[in-house]
Amino acid sequence: MSVAVEFDKEARFGPEFRGFWDDVRQGRLSFPRCRACGKRHWYPMKRCPHCQAADIAWQPVSGRATLYTWSVVRHPFTEDLKARVPVTIGLVEFADAPGVRLITELIDLKPEEIRIGMQLQAVLPTGNEPCPKIRFRAA
Amino acid sequence: MLQEIAIVGIGETPPARRSDKDVRALTVDAVMAALEDAGLKAGDIDGIVSDGVVMPTSVPHEWLAAQLGIDRYFDASMSYAGAGTIGAPLLAQMAIQTGLCRTVLCYFGVDWGTRPGGPYAFHDLYPAKIAFEKPYGFNAQPTYFALFAHRYMHDYGLKLEHLAAIAINQRENSRRTGRGQNMKPMTLDDYFKAPVVADPLRYPDCCLISDGAGAFIMTSKERARDCRKRPIYVKGVGFASERISADDAFTQRANLMTLPSVGAAKAHLERTCGLKLADMDFVELYDCFTVSCLMQLEDLGFCGKGEAGEFVQAGHTRLGGKLPVNTHGGLLSYSYRLAVEHVTEAVRQLRGEAGAVQVKDAELGLVTGLSVPDFAALVLGR
Ligand SMILES: [Zn+2]
Repeated sequence: MSVAVEFDKEARFGPEFRGFWDDVRQGRLSFPRCRACGKRHWYPMKRCPHCQAADIAWQPVSGRATLYTWSVVRHPFTEDLKARVPVTIGLVEFADAPGVRLITELIDLKPEEIRIGMQLQAVLPTGNEPCPKIRFRAA
Repeated sequence: MLQEIAIVGIGETPPARRSDKDVRALTVDAVMAALEDAGLKAGDIDGIVSDGVVMPTSVPHEWLAAQLGIDRYFDASMSYAGAGTIGAPLLAQMAIQTGLCRTVLCYFGVDWGTRPGGPYAFHDLYPAKIAFEKPYGFNAQPTYFALFAHRYMHDYGLKLEHLAAIAINQRENSRRTGRGQNMKPMTLDDYFKAPVVADPLRYPDCCLISDGAGAFIMTSKERARDCRKRPIYVKGVGFASERISADDAFTQRANLMTLPSVGAAKAHLERTCGLKLADMDFVELYDCFTVSCLMQLEDLGFCGKGEAGEFVQAGHTRLGGKLPVNTHGGLLSYSYRLAVEHVTEAVRQLRGEAGAVQVKDAELGLVTGLSVPDFAALVLGR
């Protein structure tokens, strides 16, 4: 599959992705919401996947989330993971953005302390990285 | 009513983690074995089908045709990886039934056992994965299915012993074939001693990584009578792909506790072929992980939601049980060729050539291919 892997790796800087990091740098966590039908979608798309309207706004959430599921990655699947494992991954949901789930790193939590359904709080990055990571810790 | 088509030849290279041959050489070996098995010459093939992503970029149809001496009057590919290979008989069926061609080759091969990046390289196809998943270390199938497994444990009380039962059954089947890639004996204790890959999944919960190829040849019912072996008929193919992108399918689907497209493909298959999956004598499920095998048992209707763990632990999926699953050891213990080996095994079962893992009087078998969000189900019968 080496040919297919040459896909445009800069696609993350496509216009439909940009609002996310623009808002993170302003200290807000936001997700796309269609102005025409009011529904949310995630990940970013060119148009609303529910009604195909192009008028999409970035709507901030409070940063409070609920843990939907999780894992601890222990095997270094790729070169960059070798120095980082174990990494605790969470998939979180937002009461103020139903239908959106975010992959994140859970911090300051031991595996035995993790419970599905637990309340979490976003830890937004400081600084000016182009695509910074959003982490969550227990609320 | 259009005539059924039949699989008349199968071929596969020996299960192996690493081969000294590359994927093109392996594929040529598998196709030549399938021709020999059918009693056909390469010149008898006049159509080629495969998955639409992996083969076209690694063993292209036209290269294989030139290597073997095949002139094509039909050429098609669909979906990707396992769902493409298992769905491809649909293409052969249409081409043969409408007279576009007479005899169709389908093949699949990988050298992910030796190639750098292996199966993980393909994640770079998906922009949202690059942007929002890969930076967190969420970039490998075991981690995707680990998330399913934890939530499944929470919602349905799945126990690790249930997952272990699937892995142990399949290891036992692989051992019985006498040629599986992993034939190391495994007890429950051995399972729990195996390292964790991504909590809660351990090494025995994950498919192998292999070098190898497989191939099968399809033709009309009429022509099948002149071939060397007993024809095995394509009774039906159900393919479905839900409206969700591959970016979203593992994290954003409203209900993550069913696999996308499986229920839809089952319904479509049963409606179009007039058979019920409940009538299968054995099934070769796309067992990329123990948990995905378990979820398919439920989504295909072999047991109720949340019941597959107990079903497996009760021994129903073993050889001799009421629904033998992955009789050769599957992707977990036999080899990881993304289900082309499930087709060759199902054909051996239906011909009565499966030796030590033979299901007695097997008349109907199901093969599945899962390439989230695509899914294909193939019913074969004698
Ligand atoms: Zn809309």
